[in-house]
Amino acid sequence: MDDTSKLLLQRLVRRIPTQMLKATLDKWGRLTVEQRQAMDFTQSKWALTQKLLSVCEENKLTLTHLAELEMIHAMENPNQGMWYTFQLLEPENDAQSVELTQFKQQFKCHLSELLRQMSVKIKKHTDEAVWIRIALGSSFSKPNHLKPTYVVHYLQTPYVFVRNLTSKLKPLLSQALTLATRHQGVKEANLSGRNLTSIRDLLMRQYQQVFPTKYRSPPEEEDQPVLNQHIEKEQGGVAAHRRHMAHQAFGDGMLPQLQSAVYMLDTKFRDPNNRTMTEREETFKCVVKFSSIDLLESLRSCASSGIASAPVTPLLSSIPLKGRNYFVVTDNTPGPSSQGHQTQN
Amino acid sequence: MRTPHNGAVVQRRSKTRSYRQSYRSCLGTASRLGLTPALTARRLNASRRAAKPQNDKVNPEHLALLVKAEWQLSYVTPLYQFRHTQLRSYSRQLAAFIVAEKQQGLAVEVSELHNSYRVSLSVVQGLTESEDDAETVLIQIHSKPMFARQDEPQRSVWSGWLTCVHGSPEYLRSLPKDFTCLPLFGSRGPEYLSRVVKSWFQKTFDCCFGSLEINHTSLQWFAALWTDCHSQSHIQHLRMLWTIPAAPPLQITYTVDHQDAWDLWNSVRKGPTAAVAEDAASIDLEEVTGFLQALKSHFYRHFRLDLSAGTLQQVSTAVGSAKSSGRIKMSNSRHVIATLTLLTECALLKMPI
Repeated sequence: MDDTSKLLLQRLVRRIPTQMLKATLDKWGRLTVEQRQAMDFTQSKWALTQKLLSVCEENKLTLTHLAELEMIHAMENPNQGMWYTFQLLEPENDAQSVELTQFKQQFKCHLSELLRQMSVKIKKHTDEAVWIRIALGSSFSKPNHLKPTYVVHYLQTPYVFVRNLTSKLKPLLSQALTLATRHQGVKEANLSGRNLTSIRDLLMRQYQQVFPTKYRSPPEEEDQPVLNQHIEKEQGGVAAHRRHMAHQAFGDGMLPQLQSAVYMLDTKFRDPNNRTMTEREETFKCVVKFSSIDLLESLRSCASSGIASAPVTPLLSSIPLKGRNYFVVTDNTPGPSSQGHQTQN
Repeated sequence: MRTPHNGAVVQRRSKTRSYRQSYRSCLGTASRLGLTPALTARRLNASRRAAKPQNDKVNPEHLALLVKAEWQLSYVTPLYQFRHTQLRSYSRQLAAFIVAEKQQGLAVEVSELHNSYRVSLSVVQGLTESEDDAETVLIQIHSKPMFARQDEPQRSVWSGWLTCVHGSPEYLRSLPKDFTCLPLFGSRGPEYLSRVVKSWFQKTFDCCFGSLEINHTSLQWFAALWTDCHSQSHIQHLRMLWTIPAAPPLQITYTVDHQDAWDLWNSVRKGPTAAVAEDAASIDLEEVTGFLQALKSHFYRHFRLDLSAGTLQQVSTAVGSAKSSGRIKMSNSRHVIATLTLLTECALLKMPI
């Protein structure tokens, strides 16, 4: 085994938690039953690495096999790293009939046409997702297996999720993807997050959706001691209204987990108390980033507790509605009365 | 009248309790000291001079040690019988103290420990604003890494400073003769060294240390003071971090373009603004709150979310950054004085009387 393989193995063992290591190795299937039984998982990571190194030498395993192991770990743990989303545009007539073998062959063929030094692995996950691992090299160096790019695509859908994309690979990947999926183009979908399942659910509308209705849902009953009926009535009414508004914007059920939302604001500064700024020609440029371990849940909590005024602004409610978390906001029309916002890419 | 000396003694007897008691929000609305005679200002000054570009009286080498690093802040009660002329001897004592602390718990005497720490205390000449301010003291600890070779040079492992810039003259003059007031302490480096240095100062100069948080009002002041520097040094942007008490907690980072922040700041200034380069250019609290209010209202207009519901945690520009946890970074040497003046004031508000 060469140094790169050793380094990759070392990093892998370090990254995979000990309790998961056994299952991952079993899945890999490159070790014999005896070899697997001989592994003592109570040992330190360092000792395990040494043991695995000697076993890999014995089995004459190469870098490609280790890349497989890495891919297995990545597929088992999709909620790591930052995933970015792309959307395929203008499907051809036969886009709906693309199946895995054809896609695999086409994708590899198009990509290898564009680049020589590259290692591509494609696997289908149990949930129908096609996982692609790309290790890229330059014209003078071998593929870098230490920093692979991962691409996840569900066939017959327009969405592609990418992790660790380099600027060099981006145009090549876009081209190979559009050709292999029989589409005309691809664009950024302005959605990113650490939790792959969540951003997938958000884009593919696989979570409990809210349908705008003009009828109020019946207010939930709460067991709270009534202290003063009048106060209770008035306050309760306001609170119920806030909750209703919050649910209208973000629904009642579980929400997909997003970590952040970014708004590039390039709008006029309007404040009745500040004439100088209101009369200023230029726009007021700022960037606002909301972050939380569970952003939509936080925003719903803001709305129902009254920190965010009702009704929830379309800027915030369009995160789940439009399935994106990056917005550029400019004024609709230059004029003092316009309150609307236009979002652009 | 109780002297600060007495206060320090009282505090040392029950440390944890008195730390909490000596804590006083800079707004000082609910102070247990409300009835004691006013030795210090009860609240932050409502008006302060705009940051003048730095005068050249401070040694640039010394100044370079203060900028571009992040410091953890503490307040210190006045030092008893501290002499700026004895710094050499203090350096030796502190080095010996560190070694002794290290030696504790070791069964055998480790001879290598003896020369393993080099401590230097020095005066940062000129880092003062008024004649009542004591000169700033810089503390540097050099050491070799644990498994270093013999010939490897010692590296700086810890540094800190004690300063007083523009301290309230009323308070400084009220101190008994043998006390030196250097209320602001900044440190960077391993926590255990900070602990050892603090405990040496406590033993030697009969003083007390406590953590210095930078509260909401002071952070607002920094936002305004640093934006005000834009005419002299480019601030790049004005970035504020708010936390909103939602469940789970929400963080909002609000970054404003430098030119827009500057224009907005000028629009809320009351008096004659840019034209005034003279001493008279003072900033009022009203202008500071007006500035923040305008930023919040712009935010509200878009997101219908009131930032006042949250707390300001952090303010940063290319001139400096301040965190509510008491961390400060001064990135531009020209505006060190203005930053330290505000922080000295915050530290003095924590002094037990």
